[in-house]
Amino acid sequence: MAEPAYTVASDSETTGEEKSSSTFAEIAIGIDIGTSQCSIAVWNGSQVELLKNTRNQKLMRSYVTFKDGVPSGGVSSQLLHEHEMLSGAAIFNMKRLIGRVDTDPVVHASKSLPFLVQTLDIGVRPFIAALVNNVWRSTSPEEVLAIFLVELKAMAEVQLKRPIRNVVLTIPVSFSRFQLTRIERACAMAGLHVLRLMPEPTAVALLYAQQQQQTAHDNMGSGSEKIALIFNMGAGYCDVAVTATAGGVSQIKALAGSAVGGEDLLQNMMHHLLPDAESLFLDRGINEIKSMGLLRVATQDAIHKLSFQHSVQIDVDLGTGSKISKVVDRGEFEDVNRKVFEKCESLITQCLHDAKVQIEDVGDVILVGGCSNIPKIKNLVLNVCKRDELYKGMNPLEAAVCGAALEGAVASGLSDPFGNLDLLTIQATPLAIGIRADGNNFVPIIPRNTTMPARRELLFTTVHDNQTQALIFVYEGEGKTVEENHLLGYFKITGITPAPKGVPEINVCMDIDASNALRVFAGVLQPGSHLPAIPFMEVRMPTVDDGHGWCAEALHRAHGSSLDLVTVQKKI
Amino acid sequence: MLVSVASICQFRVPKASHVYEHSTVKKPIWRWRQRSPVIRCCNRKEAVETKMEKNYYELLGVSVDSEPLEIKEAYRKLQKKYHPDIAGQEGHEHTLLLNEAYKVLMREDLRRKYDASIGQMRAFFSGDMSGLGYSSWDGSLRSKALFVDGNACIGCRECVHHASNTFVMDEALGCARVKVQYGDDEQKLEVSVDSCPVNCIYWVDREELPVLEFLVQPQPKEGYGVFGGGWERPKNVFAAAESFSKQLKNQTANQHQRNTHFTVEEETPAQAEARVNASKKINAGRFSRLWDWAKRAFQKDM
Repeated sequence: MAEPAYTVASDSETTGEEKSSSTFAEIAIGIDIGTSQCSIAVWNGSQVELLKNTRNQKLMRSYVTFKDGVPSGGVSSQLLHEHEMLSGAAIFNMKRLIGRVDTDPVVHASKSLPFLVQTLDIGVRPFIAALVNNVWRSTSPEEVLAIFLVELKAMAEVQLKRPIRNVVLTIPVSFSRFQLTRIERACAMAGLHVLRLMPEPTAVALLYAQQQQQTAHDNMGSGSEKIALIFNMGAGYCDVAVTATAGGVSQIKALAGSAVGGEDLLQNMMHHLLPDAESLFLDRGINEIKSMGLLRVATQDAIHKLSFQHSVQIDVDLGTGSKISKVVDRGEFEDVNRKVFEKCESLITQCLHDAKVQIEDVGDVILVGGCSNIPKIKNLVLNVCKRDELYKGMNPLEAAVCGAALEGAVASGLSDPFGNLDLLTIQATPLAIGIRADGNNFVPIIPRNTTMPARRELLFTTVHDNQTQALIFVYEGEGKTVEENHLLGYFKITGITPAPKGVPEINVCMDIDASNALRVFAGVLQPGSHLPAIPFMEVRMPTVDDGHGWCAEALHRAHGSSLDLVTVQKKI
Repeated sequence: MLVSVASICQFRVPKASHVYEHSTVKKPIWRWRQRSPVIRCCNRKEAVETKMEKNYYELLGVSVDSEPLEIKEAYRKLQKKYHPDIAGQEGHEHTLLLNEAYKVLMREDLRRKYDASIGQMRAFFSGDMSGLGYSSWDGSLRSKALFVDGNACIGCRECVHHASNTFVMDEALGCARVKVQYGDDEQKLEVSVDSCPVNCIYWVDREELPVLEFLVQPQPKEGYGVFGGGWERPKNVFAAAESFSKQLKNQTANQHQRNTHFTVEEETPAQAEARVNASKKINAGRFSRLWDWAKRAFQKDM
């Protein structure tokens, strides 16, 4: 498409981001950063192609090692042995740590990893460090992720022979908006611009939509609506989505997710093999780190083997005088991890319920992710969905990244003469967003599973006579009280005309656009008057950085309930 | 309830969400900067033209009696055209509307409520005029109904004074209107009709009522050159009602034929519910209009 000779005035107001406008056809690449493995794919003009690193790997281990003080990631470097990764010098599982505070149980569970995760349990970011020359050298999940992304970017740039800027990343469903900003931050550090952050199962849904459309083309069929359930379980997270697909449009009906994954299976199993592991590992001496690494590798191997055989012999010498020699069978493994599997089941049921879909109406059941080989997971999904067979035709480890690459091509404005890109994902919000009102309650304004882009508004009023100001606390989550949810930000509305309590009308409106950016508008309405009292406020969320729990507490200490709000009762 | 009312009003009034749009436009949304200006321009123009001047059915391009399946298909087709993934950030506002329309029309209860609120419910087209409209009915339906011509009303409150259960004062418009048909006894109604100093209260046929009540509401006016936008209601609401009905009949002649199986003699439970909803809508409607006015005022000053 030829560029016009003029520039529309409003286009020049930007901040230098505009330089890429001539490269209109830049296709965003898709990246799937997994907790344990990572892959990158791009639309090559006719299909999705996974990029391979110099060692011909499509899937690369997600880790960064700081050995000898020079960081290098799993894209380029080759570990001599698995144990090297567990020597304390390498940081991995950053997806489980990014954007979490040190009171988070997931962070606490990560304390058994060979690198240093220090928590002070006060709701700030945990201290994370890698062992470099016998010194704990501090870093952060964002930094580690950025180093890794730089390597990915360099690899893709060499292969595609063009600069890479726009990316579509897959993320777990249960990520809070604060975590998303951390991912965006890591991308910015790596010089990447996030075009879309896609919940993993929705990326799979898009790939499914494309496959369905191709089949419809081949059969010259009408392409009637098909409902699919997607279950994605990797090392760090478990996600479920229900999607309705027709004519290349994948409409996400519901999403559900939780931070359970292969890592939990592994840790439960390690705990089962060595019950006093935590106390042993408390000091993190060089020897303890080494023995922990040995145990980890042995357990990982055993779990892999249990996917194909019924029992496995574990023999590991921890080096500190203790030896583990044990036969573990599949039943034992499933018993140890019963809670994890129960959680998976409940996610599926919840997702189906939210989507208002009967299990009989589900056409295809798609199982993807690193845990899809575990027989128990397979059985569980088949059982809950009352099926005998899973959907075939997708590589469970590559589906998410392929979907992300498709979305990258679609959102970059590309079209395909054969209609292979005649696709669209209509996303839904994975978590409810609302404000604090009616005391300490969370009042959702945009409920969970609302179609995006979304805009909703709600009216609130004052709790005190002659209250002239009000604080708006924006939260995200599913809990009934605000403490159970994530604080995204807060701001104050001023200039409420003094009036008896319950009279002023405060409108709070939230707007989520297709790239998932959240804006909150709020202001006072003045019925009967044609003059606007005070300009409305527009705030882009999230605004809080670290220590979000503290902000709410401090504000409460400073103002008590004097700036509270309540919902307006129905006027009927 | 409030949420849905608020969003309906946002839709019915074209400029309702302008407060927000202003800020949206001002904000440099650089995620989409790399798009070609050519595409953006035509998209923007389109967005302005189609913006909220239509009801949900027109928006989705479906007939008022369409099945959920048709609505779904139309929704998907339009999404493929307007979704921000495809059309860029300019598709945002339009997609919001599509989502809202889809949500309302796909849920039977919301759809019925909406049908009642736009005054041209599905029942209307099926030929049975059961008196659904802005006013609700107290007790059984009768052949005659009360109607206040808002153009003539001077807002003297005489009728509200005499029959307070039937008439209400619409503070935003400054005129009286019927809230509940036969909310008071016959005698009170006669007195209030007679007491009107400008004789703007009429006994009309039940069949005519919804159209009249629909037309007497100020409607957003499409801009024609210098005669841009604003609000209007017909000078002579009775004449307008006549031509409006005729127009509707012509337009929907085909639908009439298709719809004969919809025709029912008695009021169905669904219609009864819609009637109740309509009265609820009035209570909320009063508020929502204030909200719109406030917003419009905002916008003028901005």
